[in-house]
Amino acid sequence: MGYGRYLAIRLLNAALVLALVTLLVSVLFTKVAEEDLRSSIQEQINFKLRANPELQKQLSADPEKFQEWYQREYNRLIRVYELDKPFWYRVVKRTKDTLTLNFGNTKMPIFGETNVKKILATAIPRTVLLFTTAEIFVILIGLLLGVKAAQVAGSTLDRGVSVLAMLTSSIPMWWFGMIAILVFSFELGWFPSGGMTSTPPKEGFAYYTDILYHMVLPVGTIVFVLFGGWAWTTRNIMIGTMQEDFIMVARAKGVPERKVIYGHALRAAAPPIITMTIFGLLASIGGAIITEAVFSWPGMGRLYWTALQQNEVRLLMGVTFVTVALYLISMILADLAYGYLDPRVKVGASQQT
Amino acid sequence: MRWVDFKASVKDFWFEFRRQKGGLLGLALLFLLVFTALAAPYITEPDIPDKWPTYWEGNPTNVPPIWYNYFTNKKLAAHEVLTYNDLRITPEQDLGGGIKYYAIEFDYINQYDLPPKDLIIKNIGVKLTDINSPAQITITLVRPDGQTVELLTTELREGSTFQVAKTGAVVNNVFNWAAEFEDPKALAGRTETIKSTMDVMRVIFAKAQPGILINPEPLHGKYTFLIEIFTFNEGDKIDLTPIVITLTGRTYGIMGTDYMGRDLWAGLVWGTRVSLTVGVSVAVLTVLIGISFGVTSAYLGGWRDEFMQRVNEFVASIPVLPILILLGAAFKGHVTLWTIVFLMVIFYWTGIAKVARSMALQIKEQTYVEAARALGAGTGRIIFKHILPQIMPYAFAAMALNVPGAVLTEASLSFLGLGDPTAVTWGQILYDAQTQSATINGYWWWVIPPGLAIALVALTFVLIGVALDRVLNPRLKRL
Repeated sequence: MGYGRYLAIRLLNAALVLALVTLLVSVLFTKVAEEDLRSSIQEQINFKLRANPELQKQLSADPEKFQEWYQREYNRLIRVYELDKPFWYRVVKRTKDTLTLNFGNTKMPIFGETNVKKILATAIPRTVLLFTTAEIFVILIGLLLGVKAAQVAGSTLDRGVSVLAMLTSSIPMWWFGMIAILVFSFELGWFPSGGMTSTPPKEGFAYYTDILYHMVLPVGTIVFVLFGGWAWTTRNIMIGTMQEDFIMVARAKGVPERKVIYGHALRAAAPPIITMTIFGLLASIGGAIITEAVFSWPGMGRLYWTALQQNEVRLLMGVTFVTVALYLISMILADLAYGYLDPRVKVGASQQT
Repeated sequence: MRWVDFKASVKDFWFEFRRQKGGLLGLALLFLLVFTALAAPYITEPDIPDKWPTYWEGNPTNVPPIWYNYFTNKKLAAHEVLTYNDLRITPEQDLGGGIKYYAIEFDYINQYDLPPKDLIIKNIGVKLTDINSPAQITITLVRPDGQTVELLTTELREGSTFQVAKTGAVVNNVFNWAAEFEDPKALAGRTETIKSTMDVMRVIFAKAQPGILINPEPLHGKYTFLIEIFTFNEGDKIDLTPIVITLTGRTYGIMGTDYMGRDLWAGLVWGTRVSLTVGVSVAVLTVLIGISFGVTSAYLGGWRDEFMQRVNEFVASIPVLPILILLGAAFKGHVTLWTIVFLMVIFYWTGIAKVARSMALQIKEQTYVEAARALGAGTGRIIFKHILPQIMPYAFAAMALNVPGAVLTEASLSFLGLGDPTAVTWGQILYDAQTQSATINGYWWWVIPPGLAIALVALTFVLIGVALDRVLNPRLKRL
């Protein structure tokens, strides 16, 4: 399979997933919008009646006439808002709004905004900041520890990594966040229990150090729960590589052990490690988002929590759609990397050049 | 496979498995969990799931477990409920003139630094002939130092409940009694403030010395509560058998209580059922579907295989949690456990299908399959007789390794408030903890145990799965 064809298939796949999610969100959106519109129609009719006392007098005399007038008004507005059109027609119309993130307004302001698009624009960079910082630590610690464990396979360190990986993969990350708050915030009082800045926010340079200070607990939680798993994955791949013939050759040549590991083995093991890392990151997004909510970090996770707590369906749709879109983009990036790094996928393409 | 062969292979398997320490530990944990789940109605009470969504009347809220006292230097009173048999009852005495007298007496040994939060008396079976002349109740306390405090004298009617510490008259009586011992200088001009902020129960269980109101010091020893009831009409009846006297504790049970006074131990025990049911059913169903899909795909080959692989890839690239959250919110309030199981199964079968397909592809090319085909074996026979038995070991390991994911996802959904509202789940306990800011208030007994339980279930199956994998895939053994 050539690189181009591989990529085309993956892109098509991502497009299909996006289409499915768009459809799902649009269906939900249509339902919500319909409820909103129906209550708004009631209000409009009532308003019209109240604004016109003459009509009110005329109609209150004859209930039958009132019924007729009401029905006529109602049907007119239903037609204006296209609620008489079939459900699927409206779903397709809503799809455009979904794709352009026009989800309308929330009932209550969040981050000082009611427009869903603007709320999302505020939240995304904050989530990216938190998650990327955590992941850099996870990858660095995981890689170093994994290589070390593979080097001394069977030792206490190696066993420790395996046990740690087993333990941390069983822990719900968000629960660990709660424990971190309990210990480091309530009991010891070292770190703030949540939020991104102090209230009121500090000025100048202190603002940034304040953010870093607030990041310690959430980042620490994500890193602690994930790094064991990464170390273990790295270790397994490295052990596989270390048994290859070329390593034996390198050793036989008298290459220093350090160079054998970092120069030969790690280089050969890099493609699977990198791709596993990216796919693993994608898998951990869900847990990380809920963890964010636990720490009241004002990012996507907080939006999920608020949307569910306050029944902000429009916000929930927006957040879901954006999360899925971001997920798919990262997946395509991972696929690109995978296709580029894995020689088996590259064969077709490299033959042409 | 004949019965003898089956028995032999099970024996072989057990021989290998026995040497996996982690696997044995996992198996032991599994037995423990299954036992807890089955015995839940006997360990706690059988009506917990019905009772769970309601407020638990009479229980203290947000209090730590009793054993917390071993770790603090201030001992907190335990929760106690006294019923008819725990009380000394003086039977009906006729005082003449239609007046009848009843007395209830009980001792309370106070060994705590912080006494009970409240004393609640309820369920006195009163039948009055004339509602305009109610019965009378007097509650008196005899303290270890010989002091007698009359806490309350009031009317007793049908269905009366007395929350002693929350009754204004008691506050006044106790204040007046204690003010005699208190340093007058400390009281000057602050009477009302002290009255409104003082903890009545701490005062009546305190040493009668200056400071009793401002900074009460506990007086240990035997306290006797005397409850006297007078009725004034001939036909009035008092039935004392249903009486319940609660000394609302500052600690409760094995795991403490949450904001609705619910016994967290009960929730913890019943949560095992949900967690195990969801985890195991998702794992079994995904493995069955995954293996059927994978084997079919491998067996059919050609464009059908290609198509089925594309379908697999499609489902695999759907981000599960956001979609589950969206669907959960769409069905909010109508979600049952089986909806959650069903939704998870839809998304989780893909990984196993992929592995099953590649295994089946290898087996399909083996010479003995070719031989079987040459002998005229049909598709079904080859799949069921030759391919599936080879994949089965892998399937068992995959089942065990799939449980943790399902358990964690269910907990995550419940934690977001999207679980089955009628079920008692660990995720929901943690959801309540989060909405009630349990972490910031330091309610550790509410936060730590449910999460540990989730982790324990997940770990159990990880241990079993890894051990199975090691036994059944010998290639991994050397690692």
